[in-house]
Amino acid sequence: MRNTVVDHITRLAQKNKDIFFVSGDAGFGVLETFQKNFPKRFLNLGIAEQNMIGFSAGLSLSGYKVFIYNIIPFLLYRCYEQVRNDICYQRLPVVLIGIGSGVTYAPQGVTHYSVEDLALAKTLPNLTVCSPADPYEARLCAQFAAASKTPVYIRLAKKGEANIHAVAPQSIEEPIVLQEGKGIAVLFHGSISDDVVKAAQELPGIKFISVPMVQPLNVAALGKALENIETIITVEEHYVIGGLGSTVADWIVDEELPFKLQKLGIKHSFIHEIKDRDGMRTFFGIDAASIVKAVRKAVK
Amino acid sequence: MAGSQRNHKLQAIAREARRAIIEIAAKSKTAHVGTALSCVDLIVALYFYQMKISRRNWSNRDIFILSKAHGAMALYAVLMLKGLISKKTFGGYFQNDGTLPAHLDRFTAKGVEASAGALGHGFNMALGMAHGFKLKDEKRQVFALIGDGESEEGSIWEGALFASKLKIDNMTAIIDYNNLQGYGRPRDLCSYEPVADKWKAFGWTPYCVDGHNFSEIISAFNKSHRGKPKVIIAKTVKGRGVSFMEDQLKWHYFIVTEELKEQALKELA
Repeated sequence: MRNTVVDHITRLAQKNKDIFFVSGDAGFGVLETFQKNFPKRFLNLGIAEQNMIGFSAGLSLSGYKVFIYNIIPFLLYRCYEQVRNDICYQRLPVVLIGIGSGVTYAPQGVTHYSVEDLALAKTLPNLTVCSPADPYEARLCAQFAAASKTPVYIRLAKKGEANIHAVAPQSIEEPIVLQEGKGIAVLFHGSISDDVVKAAQELPGIKFISVPMVQPLNVAALGKALENIETIITVEEHYVIGGLGSTVADWIVDEELPFKLQKLGIKHSFIHEIKDRDGMRTFFGIDAASIVKAVRKAVK
Repeated sequence: MAGSQRNHKLQAIAREARRAIIEIAAKSKTAHVGTALSCVDLIVALYFYQMKISRRNWSNRDIFILSKAHGAMALYAVLMLKGLISKKTFGGYFQNDGTLPAHLDRFTAKGVEASAGALGHGFNMALGMAHGFKLKDEKRQVFALIGDGESEEGSIWEGALFASKLKIDNMTAIIDYNNLQGYGRPRDLCSYEPVADKWKAFGWTPYCVDGHNFSEIISAFNKSHRGKPKVIIAKTVKGRGVSFMEDQLKWHYFIVTEELKEQALKELA
């Protein structure tokens, strides 16, 4: 998906001379074409994340449409205050492209995981948060972000993900139904989609809905998509707190909705397990088998 | 205008700005008066001598970012004297349902170029703006005022490290070197000196001036720095202009009472 996003922006940059790419010393194998084609509008601002964000805010104030590319902890955590004050508080149309969502990089260690990024991003007013589930959605996210007049965060895993939708969806601003069904709906976003698709195949009649725009949550469209649904199961490659599941929980409470809700996510503790991504997903109960199990339990 | 005449004029404006700072500090009962008084001459020199800024040519104006934004009263006072914000707006500083916050919010008033308050932010934004203007072939200068205490922030040195490599020579950083921060003196707390050598080692062109002497400030503004960013290290006195506030740590925090206001205004008559 990262290539889908970057390639799309690279194409746009041909016509739009204000598009500027900033890297925080990441992007090997991804950003070269942009850098080669538009050397004046590319900057590697090195391993200096506070300056990377502040400087980008300045570029934005000078009239550039800035995209910043980095691994999520070095895009949102190290420089959270810069993202908060310089970009979001000032409502600048900067796009943060984060890679390595969830436990993509396992077992690199906790420093390189992003299992709390949504919790952080959700604290930031003005920030739209997109978590595409496949290259179709990723392309729409890139289009949305390029046109946005306000800050956007795009949460990506890596490259090489398969399309999950049979036909290209039209918009990421509303939930996208992956599989029709009733009674129970599984809501998901982002890279966990490959496990979700496997689970969906085993669960005909269960509704599966991708929610690529996590903030702001389009509750009107979601409410419509959840007609004939009594139980919602959210699944995400993120801490079980602070992500989509928590947003849905808030919505249910705020609007006194009659849904039952179960949240699948990574247990809220530091990860000391040494496993690859799939091993982590299994361990934390967000893999296809765990999703199937949770749905079957809810059916009973 | 001859140099001395120009300096007299700037001194008169700075005196007006100081009086406005004292008045508004007393009205609002806010802290950071000492900070505002230490950097106000530098801001006056920028707005009334150095910067190209007018309502008529607004889209091509030079940019000033007050990175040490707790000195906001000084900026607001100068913006008022420059006619960019109204007396009424100035009077609403730090008032309930007022107009201007203690730290900068760019959506509150014309002339507030960047929101700031947390230290070590405005400087980096100034660098990005300057670089952007250069790439767009806009002949605009960017100035950022940072504190000596603020220079303890890692982000300052991150920006400094990249600015010279990028040859950002349309940007000038000015350090308000009053040697007093929130709870001590930079020179006592860290290896602050030799500060000029540090900036030089980072590829900047440093100039050291008396930050209350308009001849010296302007002379540093006029120094060419082609291909390199410039830093003006301005030695200042916290609370400058009001004898009982000068070089006093407590005037980072103390409130100007009605009695002290009268005393201060007498000194600034």
